[in-house]
Order: sequence, then structure tokens, then C-alpha cells
Amino acid sequence: MTVVAFSDVDVLDILVVLAVAVTAVLAVVIPRRVSATIAFLVFGLLLALLWARVAAPDVAIAEAALGGGVAGALLVDALHRRQPDSPQRSRRRTATVTAVGAVLGAVTVAALVTVLSRLTAEPADLGPLALEAVERSGVSHPITAVLLNFRNLDTLLEIAVVVFAAVGAAALSRDRIRPVSDPGPVRRVIAVVIVPALVLLAGWLLVAGTSEPGGAFQAGAVLGAALIIAHLCGVHAARAEGRRALAIVVTGLVAFIMLGAIGLAATGTWLALDLDWAFAAILAIETLLTVSIGMALAMLFLAAGSRDEGSVTDARARAAAAGGAP
Amino acid sequence: MTTLQLFLYAGAFILVLGVVATMLVRDLIRRLIALNVASGGVMLLLLALADRGDGEPDPVPQALVLTGIVVMAAVTGIAIVLARRVERLDDDLEEVEP
Amino acid sequence: MTASSLVLVPVFLPLVVGALSAVLSRRAAATLTVVAAAVTLVTAVLLGIAVLESGPVPLEVAGWAPPVGILLAADGLSVVMIGLSAVAVLAAALVAAADDHFAGGHAFWPLVGAAAAAVNGVFVARDVFTAFVLLELLTIASVALVALGGARSAAAALRYLFVAVTGSLFFLLAVALTYGHTGTVDLARAAERADDTVIVGAIIALTVVGMAAKTALFPLHSWLPVAHPAAPTAVSALLSALVIKASIVILWRVIEYLGPHTDIAAPLATVVGIAGAAAVLWGGILALRRDRLKSIIAYSTVAQVGYMVLLIPLVFAASDPQVAWVGGILITVAHGVAKAAMFLAAGALASAAGTSQLDGLEGTISRMPWTVAAIGLAGVSLAGLPPTLGFVGKWMLVQASLDAGAWWWLALLLGGGLLTFAYTARMVKATFNPPGDFSRARELTRPARTVTIVPLALAAVSVVLGVIPWLLIEVLSAAPMGGGA
Repeated sequence: MTVVAFSDVDVLDILVVLAVAVTAVLAVVIPRRVSATIAFLVFGLLLALLWARVAAPDVAIAEAALGGGVAGALLVDALHRRQPDSPQRSRRRTATVTAVGAVLGAVTVAALVTVLSRLTAEPADLGPLALEAVERSGVSHPITAVLLNFRNLDTLLEIAVVVFAAVGAAALSRDRIRPVSDPGPVRRVIAVVIVPALVLLAGWLLVAGTSEPGGAFQAGAVLGAALIIAHLCGVHAARAEGRRALAIVVTGLVAFIMLGAIGLAATGTWLALDLDWAFAAILAIETLLTVSIGMALAMLFLAAGSRDEGSVTDARARAAAAGGAP
Repeated sequence: MTTLQLFLYAGAFILVLGVVATMLVRDLIRRLIALNVASGGVMLLLLALADRGDGEPDPVPQALVLTGIVVMAAVTGIAIVLARRVERLDDDLEEVEP
Repeated sequence: MTASSLVLVPVFLPLVVGALSAVLSRRAAATLTVVAAAVTLVTAVLLGIAVLESGPVPLEVAGWAPPVGILLAADGLSVVMIGLSAVAVLAAALVAAADDHFAGGHAFWPLVGAAAAAVNGVFVARDVFTAFVLLELLTIASVALVALGGARSAAAALRYLFVAVTGSLFFLLAVALTYGHTGTVDLARAAERADDTVIVGAIIALTVVGMAAKTALFPLHSWLPVAHPAAPTAVSALLSALVIKASIVILWRVIEYLGPHTDIAAPLATVVGIAGAAAVLWGGILALRRDRLKSIIAYSTVAQVGYMVLLIPLVFAASDPQVAWVGGILITVAHGVAKAAMFLAAGALASAAGTSQLDGLEGTISRMPWTVAAIGLAGVSLAGLPPTLGFVGKWMLVQASLDAGAWWWLALLLGGGLLTFAYTARMVKATFNPPGDFSRARELTRPARTVTIVPLALAAVSVVLGVIPWLLIEVLSAAPMGGGA
């Protein structure tokens, strides 16, 4: 067995990576949904920590907001619905399949490690090129420059992904999102205190993103969380469904494409931003995107997490509780 | 082993772990979790590549990861909606059978 | 307006129309979609003219050149595939507008806009990360479209989602490797800087696996015969005719640019060829054994995917790879047109007869002769018989096989055609009147006239293009694969 020697690797890095790997394994092998989603939630938080360790604070914020949101939605779903019983499979067959999978997986990891070991530790020269071009982008934060200027086509397409996922979720979700009728005093306090605080945080992340870590996605994720919390606390104005919500979601995408057309008219190239108005354009678009993303995420995860009070299952449970045989 | 290699190999492990689990596990929500774990592995790889060298981190892979995280969130959202549809139908079917 | 500014029209126009369709009425959405498809077709023609005059049309998005920015380029392949996409969307939209049952609901319109934008984007992409995001957009739209087929299609849609996203993650790993090794995600620049045969080989291998899953190439095909029949008719047509082409094109592009830079490419190509051969046989045999119309057509797609990847080993083996490229691309286009025709016609037939089981279709031919004719004609193009476009493509692949001395591919091409002919004949025969019973014509509700005309028109297109393929071949040769942008 070869001994793996670590040459000046920070102990903290090893520990965090180890923790991430362990929670990954747990999230994947734990059989009960609720426990698995909790493990996954911890995985996401450790991942955010790891991203901070590799000097990626923007990504860390986004991972915490979005990853936490996704894990939260999965948890709510797992808590509200009974986990279906797994079909009875012969234990031998399951063991064989798992063993085969493990072996194939190990072989694949070994192959990947061989390939990866051939990558150099020299940084790509694209990095300095991009950093140098940031001065001509209209903003001072490099990631914002990449996302909203150099590679803004990718960002536009990614917004489209979020928008059309929300459209799909709206069409496919059978539950009508029920408004919370009597939120109670605790929830009212949350609605008055926490929701505005989150909205302010979203706004700050948005504006800060031009010169520091932050930006439309992080702000959008926080805004989405604010909308979901507001809904759960009975704020009727935060209804993330229906044609009005879709219109808000769609506006961000359409506005971005219009900006592209303006760039075409002004400079002769799609999505090009003239240095004179690049900063204003980027901030304006990011604001619209934040609202769009926030509403879209709220639609997606409220549709995903809405309770099915009217389902047959609950009726059956009530009948069983009343003494009738199922 | 350097820090870069540590991160790269860990990323590869997490990716393969997630993919194998997605294929082998039967429960829909657990498969979805596995898929998200796999995606985390690739993100680790990309961010490790961004942090090479001593200067400022490379913004391009970081931007790519940011995009990837948002995309996976959208995919997961729609997958949950579909999983609910599938599992509710099974529940309803149980009811209908005499 | 320069040709460069046309390059993004096939992407942004359907995207805007799709976004607006989410909030407009059904009629407005349908009209806009049809108009957008027509405009896309015109744009494809204009771009084709530009390509004929001066080669590939590049576009540096946002004014930044790679490696800092994103480069798109329209070459012969792009133009031809965008044309296919416009035609397929137009046909599906017309049928869906005529009868909402074929669409699956109002969400059809925005999701189709997203899907069309995504495939068109893939056809002009030269940047692997942009390709990744486009494929994700396509996956989300397609998965949601499948699920429109009713509560029971949710399982099929979810299965498709898991396979497609897993494939995307493999491809994202390939993107990471590309960036890690070459410092760029632009294919042309990466090819210039690629330096390590193992890493480049791994990139190609990962792309093969990822795209094989998304295109339903044997043995990763099992999600397709479940998903395509479960979807509403117009969606099935688009899925088979268009959506699976996007991942195939990405595979072609990666091989086109990076293939020459690794020794592993040729053996990988052979492996892909074997998978393709297995697909042709497996798909064909299973199509012969199924009893439901849509199932047969779905397995037929599995078989045809085999042909589309067949060009890859031929490109490496032949002395003139252009023949293999052009032949494979033409077969792909022919398949797209024919499959759309088949699914739309089959949907009309099943809807009118009340069942898609073959033995429930007896006698339908006397009431819906044109619909059955569309299926038959489409089958002829798929089988590669003259005078269809399928024949032209197949003929070129045969030439490439002979040139490379690869007798086995030749046998496969011919054998596959026989299978195709057999299952098409089986479908058509099922619609005949019961023997000896000429008097009693089957009582059917005939569908709207559009639904009868559109599939037949599509099938006719494959004949017309088969008789005069010169224009397509010219465009494909003016900006040949491997020429680079």
C-alpha cells in the first residue's frame, strides 16, 4: 500500500475536505429521507466553508443561499410526505448490484485520478487576461465582470433555465398554493422583522456585487427566501403563483435580451456594453434579474413544497384513525 | 500530494459517488440528493482549478461554478415537482384498487 | 445588418417568444411561435447564403473575443440544422395549434420556445461551457414537455431528467478538464493548446458518455422508448426530430476539434461505432416486436441514432472524411424530418382510432389515407430508399465505408434499412381493412385538416430534398467540418 505524503497542505484543508467527503457519503447511503436530507444540508454548509477556503467568497454565499434553500425544500418535502415503501428486493441481488456499482465506481475514480494528476499546477493564463480586462468592463469586481460582461451570454441562458423551470413547475404542480389564513403572532413578528431584513440584505448584496463579492444570483436567492418566508407567514402580497408572478419572472429574461438588442444597435454586436454606460446597464439588469430570480425560485420551491391537504392519502389516514380498516 | 491534487481527487470521488448512487438508489428523493452531491464534486474540481498559483483567483471558473449552482437548483426544483406527481399517483392508485 | 448579427436570431427570437408565451393567450402564443419558426427558417437561408459566399460566419458575443469572451459561429452544419429545427418546430406548432390535445396544455408554447432556442444555440456554439448551459436549458424544457403528457408521464419525465443531468455532469467534468489543461473553454483555442494525449482522450471519452446518455445511444438508450411515447404527440415529434440532435452535434464538434489531438480518438471512434451498430440492430429488432405505434417509432429513433454516430468511425477511417461528415449530417436531417412526420401522423391516427395498439387500427386507411401515406413515405426515407434524402445520406456513408474498406459498416447500413422497411410495412399493414371486409369503412372522427396535411408535407420535403440535395451539400461543403472557425 502506497503511503500518501502531503507536501505543505494545510491541515485545515484536509479536515474540511474530509468532512465534506464524509457527509457526502452519509447523504447518499442513509436510507430514511429526513435523515438523508439533513446530512445533505450539512454537506451544503461544509461545501460553502470549503468554497471560502479556496478563495471563492461569491460562490460560498451562493452555495449557502441556494444550497441551503434546495436542502430546505427537500427537507420540507420529506417531512410532509410519507416516504414510499421500497419494493421488496432480494437482499442478495441488492448486495450484488451495490458491489458491482462500487467496483465500477472505484475503477472510474482511479481512472479520473490518473488523468487529473496530469494537470499542471500552473494557473491558466486566461485568469490574468480576464483580470486585466476588468478595467474595461464597467465594474470592478472580476466575477461580476465575467458574468455580466465578458460571458454575459452564459448568464442570460442561465436566467432562461431558471425562468423556464419556473414555467414548467407552475404548469405541472397540481397543488394550488394555499394562502396561510391565520398566521399567528410568532409568524406575524417574523413577517414584520425578518422579511424586510432579508429584502434589505438582498439589496445590499446586489449593489455590493459591482465591487465586492455579491451580485444578482446571491441577491435573488435571498429575495426568493424572503418571498417564501413571507408566504408562509401569511403575507398575501407575496403570492408566488399565477399569471402576475410569471410576468415578473419573465420580465428579467426579456429585459436582458432587450439589453442585448440595444447593444447590437449601439455597438454592432449583440450584448456588447459600451464602457460609457456599462456600469449603469449592468446594475439595472442585475436589479431586474434579482427580482426575476427571486420570484422564480419562490415559484419553483413553493410549488415543490406546497402541502397536499386535499389528497386521498390524508382522507385515508383520517378514516383509519376513525377506526375504519384501510 | 499537493493541495490542488487533494481537491481534485476529492472532487472526482464525490462526483463518482453521487453518480453511482443516482443510478443504484431507487428512492426518488434520495436520487435527487445524490445528483446534487455529484454536482458538488464537479464544482470542487472547477474551484480547485481556479485557485492554482499564488495570485488572485481566476474569476472564470468561479463564474462557471456560480452558473452551475443556479442551474442545479432549477433542475432540483422541477425534479421535486415531478417526484411529487409520481408518488401521489402511486398513492391514488392504491386507493382505487379494491 | 451584417451576417454576424443574424447568428443569434435563431436563439433569441424563440427565447423571447417563449418567455412571452408564458403570459399570453394560447392563440397569441401559437401565432407568435409559428411566425418565429418561419423567421428562423428565413434566417437560416440568409445565413446559408453568407456561408456559401465566404465560409463560416463568426460572432464574438458582447464584443469580446475568446479566450475572454464567447465565440459563436454559423457554418454549414449550423445552417442546415437550424433549418431542420425551424421546419420541425413549424410542423409541431401547426399541429399543436390545431388541437390542444396534441400539445398537452398551454405550457407547451413557452417550453417549445425554450427548447428551440436551446437547440439553435447548440448548433452555433463553439464554447463548451456555453454548450453546457444550453444543454441544461434544453433538458429542463424537454423534461417539462414530456410531463405534459399527463400524470402517468411524470415517471418517464423524471427518468429522462436523471439520465440527462447525469450526462450533463460528465460533460461538465470534460469542460473542467478542458479548462484545466488548456486555459480556455473555446474549442478552437483549446485545440491549439492541447498538449497531452491522455487528457484530451479523457475529454473526448467523457463527452462521448455524456452525450450518449442524452442522445439515447445504446446502451444508454432505455429512457427514450419510455419517454417519447409518454409525451403529447407534438412533443414526441420534437423530441425525436430535434432534441436528441443537440447532444449529437456537441459530440461531433468536440471530435471535430479535439479528435486530431489525441491518439485515443481512433479507438474511441471504433467503440462508438460498435455502440451505433448495436443500436441499429437492437432498435430495429425491438421496433418489429412492439405493438403500439408510438413505441415502434421510438425504437426506430434508437436505431437511427446508431446511424448518426456511425459517421464518427468513418471520419477517422476514410481517406476523404468530408464524405462521411456530409453523409452523416444528411442522414440526421432526413431522420429529423421523417421522424417528425411519423410521430405527428401516428398521433393523428391514434387519436382518431381511440387507441395506438396496432390491432386497433384496422380499417383506418380508408378513412385517413393521407395520414397513413405520410407514415409510409417517412419510413421510406428512414430506410434510405431512393428518391429520398435518407437515400442520399446513406449513399454517401456507403461510399465512405467502401473507401475505408469497412465491409461491416456496409452490411450494417443495408441490413438496418431492411429492418426499417419491415417495421414501417408492419405499421402500414395494420391500418388495412380486415380481409374480405371491403364494405364497412371504419367509423372515425377525422382530425382537422392541418393535422392531415402537415405530416404529409414533411414527408414530401424529404423526397424533394432527396431529388435536389445539391444545395444542402453545397452549403455543407462551403464550411466543412474540420475547417475550424
